[in-house]
Amino acid sequence: MKRPLHGVLAGVAMVTGLALAISSCGFGSKDSADSDTTINFLAPAYSDGATGTKALWDGIIADFQKKNPDITVNLQMESWNSINDVVRTKLQSKSTTPDILNIDAYASFANDGMLYPATEIVSPQVLSDIQPGFAKNASLNGTQYALPLFASTRTLFYNTDLFAKAGIASPPKTWAELTDAAKKIQALGGGVSGYGLPLGSEEAQGETSIWTFGAGGSWSDGDKITVDTPQNLEGVRAMRELADAGVTQPNPGATDRKDVINAFIQGKIGMIEGLPPTIGQITAKNPSLKYSTAPSPTKSGTPVTLGVADHLMAFKKDGKKTESIKKFLDFFYSADVYANFVSKEGFIPITNSAAAKLASDPVTKAFGSTLAVAQFYPSNNAKWAAAQGAIRQQMGTIAQGTDPAQVLQRIQEAAK
Amino acid sequence: MRRKGTLAAIPWIGPSLVLIAAIVAFPACYMVWTSTRDLTDYGQDRGSAGLDNFRALFEIRELGSVLVHTVIWVVAVVLITLVLSAGLAQFLNKDFPGRTAVRMAVLVPWAASVVMTTTIFYYMLDPDVGIANRFLVDIGLLDRGFGFTKQPTPAFLVAIGVAVFVSIPFTTYTILAGLQSIPAEISEAGRVDGASAWQRYRFLTLPQLRPAIAVATIINIINSFNSLPILQVITGSIAGFQSDTTTTLMFKLIRQNQEIDTAAAMSVLNFVLIIVIIAIYVKVIRPTQEVDG
Repeated sequence: MKRPLHGVLAGVAMVTGLALAISSCGFGSKDSADSDTTINFLAPAYSDGATGTKALWDGIIADFQKKNPDITVNLQMESWNSINDVVRTKLQSKSTTPDILNIDAYASFANDGMLYPATEIVSPQVLSDIQPGFAKNASLNGTQYALPLFASTRTLFYNTDLFAKAGIASPPKTWAELTDAAKKIQALGGGVSGYGLPLGSEEAQGETSIWTFGAGGSWSDGDKITVDTPQNLEGVRAMRELADAGVTQPNPGATDRKDVINAFIQGKIGMIEGLPPTIGQITAKNPSLKYSTAPSPTKSGTPVTLGVADHLMAFKKDGKKTESIKKFLDFFYSADVYANFVSKEGFIPITNSAAAKLASDPVTKAFGSTLAVAQFYPSNNAKWAAAQGAIRQQMGTIAQGTDPAQVLQRIQEAAK
Repeated sequence: MRRKGTLAAIPWIGPSLVLIAAIVAFPACYMVWTSTRDLTDYGQDRGSAGLDNFRALFEIRELGSVLVHTVIWVVAVVLITLVLSAGLAQFLNKDFPGRTAVRMAVLVPWAASVVMTTTIFYYMLDPDVGIANRFLVDIGLLDRGFGFTKQPTPAFLVAIGVAVFVSIPFTTYTILAGLQSIPAEISEAGRVDGASAWQRYRFLTLPQLRPAIAVATIINIINSFNSLPILQVITGSIAGFQSDTTTTLMFKLIRQNQEIDTAAAMSVLNFVLIIVIIAIYVKVIRPTQEVDG
């Protein structure tokens, strides 16, 4: 009995040894995948298809490597649904940690000292080219750790056909005018809703912010998260009143943002708070839709809106790659490359040079003026993640009858 | 004497012990260990958290109602599935033309992915474009499509329906297998003694089905308790926790709150719950009891 077993064991040992030997001389070994001139870049896909995000990055990387043949950029694309899980897995070990990461939140990485300050990964020209509000939003305790990739703000999209039918002369500036317009459009009947209010769990914090900011509210004060404030309550009450008036789409508490946008594109909703890519979606899906954009209505009519930026960040690891990373990021932020990337993705540029280049781009035209009045999530506050999760989960319940004051209290508690 | 016997058995049961340790015991222990760690939102270990994660978990105000939903969910799905499957199995056990085709048809929901099946139901019930709602509007029952999947309670009921739909194939086949192992003589003897059809089923067939039903029940309990996709697809965008079970709450803790350490504590609680539920079931129903005993 013993001898055959012995043979098997010896065989296993030999195969293992062979596998180790092969793997140590090349495949996936450190020196090829992780040298000082290799940049591992992890990015999410903003758009799919032949002209999507992957094609854009592939093109940028090819152009970059033509000029810098000694530097290799390994691109890995993930969907937004899975990128957080991928990042979590990759950060477990230094050898798999990406050198450059494109994602929304950078604060927890920066807090743990894992990121290079921005001054070490791009040249001063690029830093000074970035719009100050966005640079500040990418900073923690006065040090900028991330580079805004591009911006997204919100602005009111309204269906001019429905406005004409309902006899509304100009887009609403205040909440009172908004409610009035929504009532008139809702009265047209035929399954048309006045205002699209997406409070489902996908993005409730976005819509909510537009309303609370519109009442002069804010989600933070210094390093405190402030959810339960009189201004925020006023904003949330206004949303509740709109839902109660029955001038929104049915069940606002369970409607995701994408559903509202789709319904607007099909001409079923009079007004929505839209994003830059909405313009491209309308062109692609229903080019005959007659619509226009206007500043988001607020309580008093003073314009303010929500600004969101995704970021590029570089992980320190062993600290030897700064030169390669700097070359690549400087190339990326050079006016032509960056402007092309932003306009193809349909967002708003955050560098002055690209904004000048894209002055006639439809997205920049519609959204450019909102940049100055954009207010941000306190995403550099470590407790914001919990508050944001709670807003997503709870805010829609105001449309199911829960008291707005109670909802805000609970969200405040969640952010303790 | 007994100890010696156990020791002597080691070489024979050893491999399965190793297997159990590797694929059951180790992950379970690792899960418990993780739940006591202080983890950042991207999974970096910051050291021991003691029982803080559990404290955070029990501070969730809705936890109590979520536990109640979980019990309703499991009991409703398992009971309805069992009753429908028992009837269906009885029917499929009869000899009729085209029986094989019907049996295959019953398998289809099982062969399809749960997410796919659920998504089809979700779109069928959509208030604007769903054909179910369209039908109700066309026959004049509704003026405008009803948001079956847009309000907590109706959506939860729809999810129970879908869960029953996808659980029926397995359960039916298990009970059908049980039915086919029952000798025809038993039922014949009952008929000779003058028992009615219901009496024959209740006192002769059902006791014989006990092992099959026991297996189907336990597996259905585990399946529905752990089921994420159905509730996620149907109720995922509804605000609040009025249609959440412990499993979907865990998912929300990871995805929306980025609190993977609290979610780890939740999964330990989930593990304990499923063990308790199965233990109660085994204790009360005694599914392993001998049929004739």
